[in-house]
Amino acid sequence: MTTEPVPDRGQSDFLARRTGLVIPALLLVAGIVLAIGTFTMDVPSGVASPGPQVFPAFISVACLVFAVLLAVDVLRNPEPEQVGVRTAGRAATTAVPAGTSPAGAGAGDTPQAADATPATTAATPDRDTTAIGGATAAGEPPAVGGAEVEEPARIRSNRPAVLGLVGTVIVFIALLVPLGWIIAGALLFWGVARTLGSRRPVFDIFVAVAMSSSIQLAFSAGLGLNLPPGILAGVF
Amino acid sequence: MNQLSNLGDGFLTVLTPMNLLWVFVGALLGTAVGVLPGLGSAMAVALLLPVTFSLDPIGAFIMFAGVLFGGLFGDSISGILMNTPGNSTAIASTIEGHKMAQDGRAAQALATSAIASFFGGTVAAILVVFFAPSLARLATHFGPAEYLALAVFAFVAISAVVGESILRGLTSLVIGLAIALVGIDGMSGASRFTGGMPELFDGINIVVITVGLLALGEVIAVAARRGTKEEAKLITSAGRLWLSRKEFRLALPAWVRGTTIGVPFGIIPVGGSEVPTFLAYGTERRLAARKPGNMFGRGDGRGVAGPEAAGNATASTAMGALLALGLPTSATAAVLLAAFRQYGLQPGPLLFERASELVWALLASFFIGMVVLLILNLPFAPLWAKLLKVPRHYLYAGITVFAMLGIYATSSKVFDLVLVLAIGLLGFGMRRYGLPVAPVLIGVILGPLAETEFRRTMAVSEGDPFALVSSPISATLYIVLALGVTGLLVQRSRARKKEESRLMTPVA
Repeated sequence: MTTEPVPDRGQSDFLARRTGLVIPALLLVAGIVLAIGTFTMDVPSGVASPGPQVFPAFISVACLVFAVLLAVDVLRNPEPEQVGVRTAGRAATTAVPAGTSPAGAGAGDTPQAADATPATTAATPDRDTTAIGGATAAGEPPAVGGAEVEEPARIRSNRPAVLGLVGTVIVFIALLVPLGWIIAGALLFWGVARTLGSRRPVFDIFVAVAMSSSIQLAFSAGLGLNLPPGILAGVF
Repeated sequence: MNQLSNLGDGFLTVLTPMNLLWVFVGALLGTAVGVLPGLGSAMAVALLLPVTFSLDPIGAFIMFAGVLFGGLFGDSISGILMNTPGNSTAIASTIEGHKMAQDGRAAQALATSAIASFFGGTVAAILVVFFAPSLARLATHFGPAEYLALAVFAFVAISAVVGESILRGLTSLVIGLAIALVGIDGMSGASRFTGGMPELFDGINIVVITVGLLALGEVIAVAARRGTKEEAKLITSAGRLWLSRKEFRLALPAWVRGTTIGVPFGIIPVGGSEVPTFLAYGTERRLAARKPGNMFGRGDGRGVAGPEAAGNATASTAMGALLALGLPTSATAAVLLAAFRQYGLQPGPLLFERASELVWALLASFFIGMVVLLILNLPFAPLWAKLLKVPRHYLYAGITVFAMLGIYATSSKVFDLVLVLAIGLLGFGMRRYGLPVAPVLIGVILGPLAETEFRRTMAVSEGDPFALVSSPISATLYIVLALGVTGLLVQRSRARKKEESRLMTPVA
């Protein structure tokens, strides 16, 4: 991968610009699973018609139809050829949450060059990339974000960060019951902060432990939520 | 004036120290998530849902209302001062608001926006107080066919309007409907798509879905965007925080117009305040162009006043529609509906009878919340902006921890944590490929209702499909829906042609 915008590179680039096919694939699988489940469903006898299979059958067909329609849409409208073209100021505002520190934190880490595996967003470690469209404020889908983009650019995904984050969550899930909330929760906080670009690992340990302990105190002792004590069971 | 005495009782319920504290906490939290870009009140309520389960419902709901309106007050602060709208609802008011700030009028922009939010929210809340009970009475005449029509209306309207393409909106909706199918079918007792796992017999918990989609999905999306360039400079706001008489006179009609535009949009399910805010912005701009003294493009207060008033008016009436009809018209309303169900309450016509104390306390808390928010936002707006200095990695790490805490605390099942991760990944994929999240929530929440009402209608009519459209109310709803979608498609294709002639490559 180079840092320059890449021209058409045949097959791999064809797919790299169409990673959006993941969603139709998912829908296809969902549609098939729903169809099989509907056919093999154990329906108790004497159920009033329409029974429990009508609606799932309808959704299953809808899944398959939209899988095809969305696949066609993704194939016909690939993401822009260029990776990481700078977008105009206002587009940036609608897309990326910003603060003063993230810019500073972001400056230090080097996004590893992503290899051009077809299944991923071919990413160029280009500092000038601005994420567009896709995600705006949480929960409120982008109504207009994409419309204001002046120059099209492919959205670059920081795959190592995503993998690190998901890995951290998996480790947390695995360790929560055996180790207890305080340790597992602290680990989760520390790991997520780290993958999101914190560069003070030692300091983070204290923040993380303080965070998980105060949650244990406030929610377990205060509000009576049920948190696993784990190996620190005797201490509290 | 039954409403007034009920509202008076509501005020008495809210004006206890403990409940006032919840209003205040909600307002604080709401403003905070509003100011912080990427966080919205829907996510905040979803995160709060599990941890507030031990509160009494009145306390919890007046806090949620504070969060909802706080989000709308706060979202324009970062937009005006940094050109980074805290939410998509603030994009419209950011356009002129940030120009005002660059022009050295940040304080006036903030004041205009805060008063606009207050004005729009309060006026719409008054309308809700007077009309919601009648709406609820009307809704008691609704049968299964009408409810099905309402649900279908919500499905299509929200999928069509939110996001850029109807195809993607409907795809999201289907994903939501599919998720809602899992579990034991309430009408027949058949176990559906559970794979025989007892954990899934009750279906996938709505808290798991909302937290996964809104919180974890967003955190993963933030991770994926890490390292992208962000340019944002905080403009400091100094000077008087009130408006001069001239500015006030200029802004007042804009507040009124914005409110007028915003009110009807709360009842139509179009996914929240994006559409009315932009309509209000467009209206102000066009009106200003006709008269001398047009400051649009250089920071016109009316460009802030209109959209902000519209956004809050929409939020208020949306709450009215949720309470009276049980119809969520935005992602936040959908999460609130989930909250009602958590407490074993079903919004809709009967709520006004069964839980009238809660309803009126909630409505009263709107007014108190507005006052609290005006006080919190008018003088302290620049202070709130300091919140943007919290390192983002700590912020999102905290959100992840809270998300996991909430999920585990509701069910004490590790299985739910695995589910929330899977749904979070789905939420990330949807954000990444431009699929709106709100239709999923609407699908999950209204899907089972739609199915039940469909089966009831068919059972009553003994399989006659005309029963679905035979009543005047449901027929009207379907006709309005068809007309609306056709109009939207025509407008979209026109806009796309214009866009294509302007751009070489259309943005996907």
